[in-house]
Amino acid sequence: MRGLGWLWLGVPVVGLVELLGHLYFAGRAPREAEWRELRPVIERLRQQDELVIVAPYWAEPLARQALGDGLMPVAQVARPDESAFPRAIEVSVMGQRAPELRDWAEVAVERAGRFRLRVLQNPAPASVGFDFVSGLRPGRVAVQHGEFPRLEDCPFRGDYAPDAGGLHGSLAFPAERFGCGGPDQFVGITIVEDDRYRPHRCIWAPPPVRGARVIRYRDVPLATRIHGHTATSWFLMRDRETAPIEVTIRVGGDVVGTVTHYDARGWTSWHPFEFELGAHANRTSDVVFEVESDDPENRQFCFEADTR
Amino acid sequence: MTGAARSRWPAWAPDAAIAAAIVVGYVVLLLATVQNLGYARDEGFYFQAAASYERWFDLLARDPVAALQRANVDRYWAVNHEHPALMKSLFALSHQYLFERWHWFGEAGTAYRFPGMVVSALGLGVVFLWGRLAVGRLPGVVAALGLGLMPRVFYHSHLDCFDLPVASMWLLTTFAYWLSVERRSYAWAILTGVLYGLLLDTKHNAWLLPFALVTHVALTQWPRLRRESSVGRVTIPAALLAMAVLGPLVFYATWPWIWFDTAERLAWWVQFHLRHEYYNMEFLGQTYFEPPMPRLYAPVMTLATVPLVTLLLAAAGAGVTGWGAVRRRWHLQRSAALPRTEIEAPALERTALLWLLCLLLSYAPWLSSKTPIFGGTKHWMTAYPFLCLFGGLGYAAAAARLQTLVASWRPRLSGAIPALLAALVLVGPAKMTYDSHPWGLGFYAPLVGGAPGGATLGLNRSFWGYTTGAVIPYLNEHVPPGGTVYVHDTALQSWAMLVRDGRLRSDIRGTLRLASADVALYHHEQHMSRVEFQIWVLFGTVSPAHIGTYDGVPVVWIYERRRGDAPRR
Repeated sequence: MRGLGWLWLGVPVVGLVELLGHLYFAGRAPREAEWRELRPVIERLRQQDELVIVAPYWAEPLARQALGDGLMPVAQVARPDESAFPRAIEVSVMGQRAPELRDWAEVAVERAGRFRLRVLQNPAPASVGFDFVSGLRPGRVAVQHGEFPRLEDCPFRGDYAPDAGGLHGSLAFPAERFGCGGPDQFVGITIVEDDRYRPHRCIWAPPPVRGARVIRYRDVPLATRIHGHTATSWFLMRDRETAPIEVTIRVGGDVVGTVTHYDARGWTSWHPFEFELGAHANRTSDVVFEVESDDPENRQFCFEADTR
Repeated sequence: MTGAARSRWPAWAPDAAIAAAIVVGYVVLLLATVQNLGYARDEGFYFQAAASYERWFDLLARDPVAALQRANVDRYWAVNHEHPALMKSLFALSHQYLFERWHWFGEAGTAYRFPGMVVSALGLGVVFLWGRLAVGRLPGVVAALGLGLMPRVFYHSHLDCFDLPVASMWLLTTFAYWLSVERRSYAWAILTGVLYGLLLDTKHNAWLLPFALVTHVALTQWPRLRRESSVGRVTIPAALLAMAVLGPLVFYATWPWIWFDTAERLAWWVQFHLRHEYYNMEFLGQTYFEPPMPRLYAPVMTLATVPLVTLLLAAAGAGVTGWGAVRRRWHLQRSAALPRTEIEAPALERTALLWLLCLLLSYAPWLSSKTPIFGGTKHWMTAYPFLCLFGGLGYAAAAARLQTLVASWRPRLSGAIPALLAALVLVGPAKMTYDSHPWGLGFYAPLVGGAPGGATLGLNRSFWGYTTGAVIPYLNEHVPPGGTVYVHDTALQSWAMLVRDGRLRSDIRGTLRLASADVALYHHEQHMSRVEFQIWVLFGTVSPAHIGTYDGVPVVWIYERRRGDAPRR
C-alpha cells in the first residue's frame, strides 16, 4: 500500500492537465476572422454551384455569415437532401466529417488555415429536370381549393402580409403566395424543420377545410420519376396523432401516385416518396398535386418534389 | 505576535474573517462581472413578481391593516405564485432600498440580483466554515473556492433566481442541524427549524431535505434509537422537531400568498411541481420533451460541466472516508468484539454520511425517467456544496500524503505542499470560470472537449435567452434609430430591464412579432431552430449579420433584413 502513495500525485497532475486541456480546447475552433478569410478560397473552389457543407454542423452559422447567401443560398442550406448535387465542398474543422457525404469520392483536398476543404463527387447524382419548389411561380402554376368540381381560385400576390408564429406558432408565411382565404390558407414557399431540427425548403400546402388544395403546374418537362418529401412541422406535430394527409399526384390527368403523410409520432417528419412516370416519362405535361385530409385543422403541412 | 495580542481575539476570529472574506470577495467578483450578463428569461418574471411584492411592502409600511386584507394580499402576491416568496421578497426590498432610496446601485437589475449574489456567496462561506470545522482551514478554503469556481455555479450566482440560493439555504440548514447534533445545542436546533422554514420559502427542493436528515439520524443514532424503542420512548433530535414545528410556521409567515385558502394553495403549489410541464432540453444530440427522460442526464452533465479536478478531489474524499470507515469497523469488531450495532461512528464519519445523504438526495429525482431535465445542471446544484466538502476531504488527504512523500525526499519543501496543491487544484477551475463568462450555460469541461466538444456531442449551449447581454454592443451600434428587435427567447420583462438599466438604447423596441422587426435575435437551442428558419423566410437571408460565439461556438446570432425590405408593423 505504501507504494500507492505516489498515486496522490495524480491530483495535482489532473489539475494541471485539465488546465492545459481547457486552454487547448478553448482555442481549438476557428474564430470569426478565420471564417471570413475562407470566403475567397470557397469562391475559387465553387465552380458549379457546389453544395457547401460544414462539419461539424453546429459551425454552419459561422460559414453562412462568412460566405453569405451567394455561396450558401437558402435552396442549398435548406435542401431536401443531397441526392441531386453532383459535387459538394466540405468545410471541415477539428477533424470532423459530414456524415451525409460519407460515401462521396474525394476529388480534391486542401488546407486553408485551420480548415480542411474537400471537394467531393456524388457517386450517383440524380439529374433533376424540374424542381416544383423553385418552379412555384404564377406564370406556370395555378392554385385552387374546395370540393370538386366547384373549385375556387387562389390568386397569387407578392405583397401578402408575411408572418411567423415563433417557437410555438406557425411556420413562416412568405409575402409571395397564392392566397386561399384565411391567413394560413395559402400555397407558398416556406421552410420546415424535420425530426433532427434541420431545415427543408418546401411548398406550404395545408389541406383545406373542405375538399382539396389543388396545385397545377403547366407544361412540366418530365424525367422518369417524381421524387419528393412530405412534411409537417416536427416541433408542433411530434406529440400529436391526427388523421393522415393525402397528396395525390396527377400527370396529364392520370394518377401516378398518392402519398399518405402521417404526423410525426412514429414517423419521420420529412417523409420521402417516389413514383415512376411510366408512359409520361420524358414528355412535357401538366402535373397536379391535390392535398386533402379528413382532419384539416391546423395542419402545418408542406411538401417538395422534383422530376428526375 | 505576543500572547497578550493573541488573547484579544477569540479562537474563531480568523475563521470568521476568512469566511467573511470569501463571501465578500465572491459578491464583489459577481458585481464586477454582472455588467455584460444579460437577463435570463426567468429573471424577467421575477422582476415582475418582485415589483408587485414591493408595492405590497409599501402598502404594509403605509397601511398595515389594508396590506393584510385578503384582497390586497391576493392582488400583490398572486404574481408568480408557483414559487414561494423569500428570494423575491429580498429582490423587492433590495430594489426598494439599495436602488430607489439609497442609490447604492446604478442599475435596477443589479439591485434585484444583489440578494441572489449575497445568498449564493453565503453558501461559499458556509462551505468554508463547515470544511474548517470538519477537516481543516485550508481544506475549507479549497472546498469553498471549488464551489465558487464551478463555471455554472458562477453563472447562476449572478441571477435574481432561486437555484443557487436554494443550494445555499439547504447547506445552511444542514449545517445548523449538524451543529445542533454535534454540539447538542438547542439554540442550533431552533435555528435549524427557522432556517428550514426559510428554505421551504426559497424553492421546492426543500421538500427533499427531511429525507436526508431523518436517514442520517436513523443511521448515526441507531443504537440509541433501538434501545429507546425497546422501552417505548424514542427521543427525536431537537433539530428535527424544530424543523417539523418551526419550519412550517416560518414558511407560512413569510409567504403571504398562502395566508388565505392555505390548504388549497399549498396543494396547487405541490401539484404544479409534481406535474411540471416538460420543456425541451437537448442531450447528446436529441431534444427531450416528454418522458422517458435519459437517466444518464444528471451524471453525464455533472461530468461534463464540473471541473474534473473538483470531481476527483470529491471522489478521493469520499473514497478515503469510506475506506477509513470500513477499516475502522473491521478492526473494532475484531478487537473489541462489540456487536456491530453498538459501534458509534466518529464525528468525521457522521459528518461525511450527512454530506453523502444530501448529495444523493439532491440527485435522487433524476433517477426517475419522469423527472424533467429542462433546467440542465441547475436542478441538482444543491448537491454541489456537499460535493465540494468531500473535495475538501480529498484535498486534505492528498496534501497529507504528498507532504509525507516530499518530506522523505526534500524535507524543507514539504511545508509548502498544502498551499502548492491548493493552487494547483484551483488554478484550472479559476481559469475555466473566468473564460466562461458571460456564456456560463455554454461551459463544458475539457473532459468533453470544452465548448466545441459540448457542441459536437449535442449538448445544450444556452437557454433562457440571457445571451442577449453578450450582443448588446452590436445592437446599440447597428439597430436603426427607433428600430424594432425580435427578442426571441429573452422575456420582454428582461428586455425592458436592459433598457431601463441603460444597457440598451432606449429607442430600440423589443417585440415578439418577427414580421414587425428590423433586426432579429436568435438564441440557439436545437428545438428553437424552427424560429431561425422563420427568420430566413421573413428576412430573406440565411446569413447572420453578427454571431456571439464562445470559444468559436455560435451561441446567439443576429439577423438584419435585406436592404430595401421593410418590416410590417
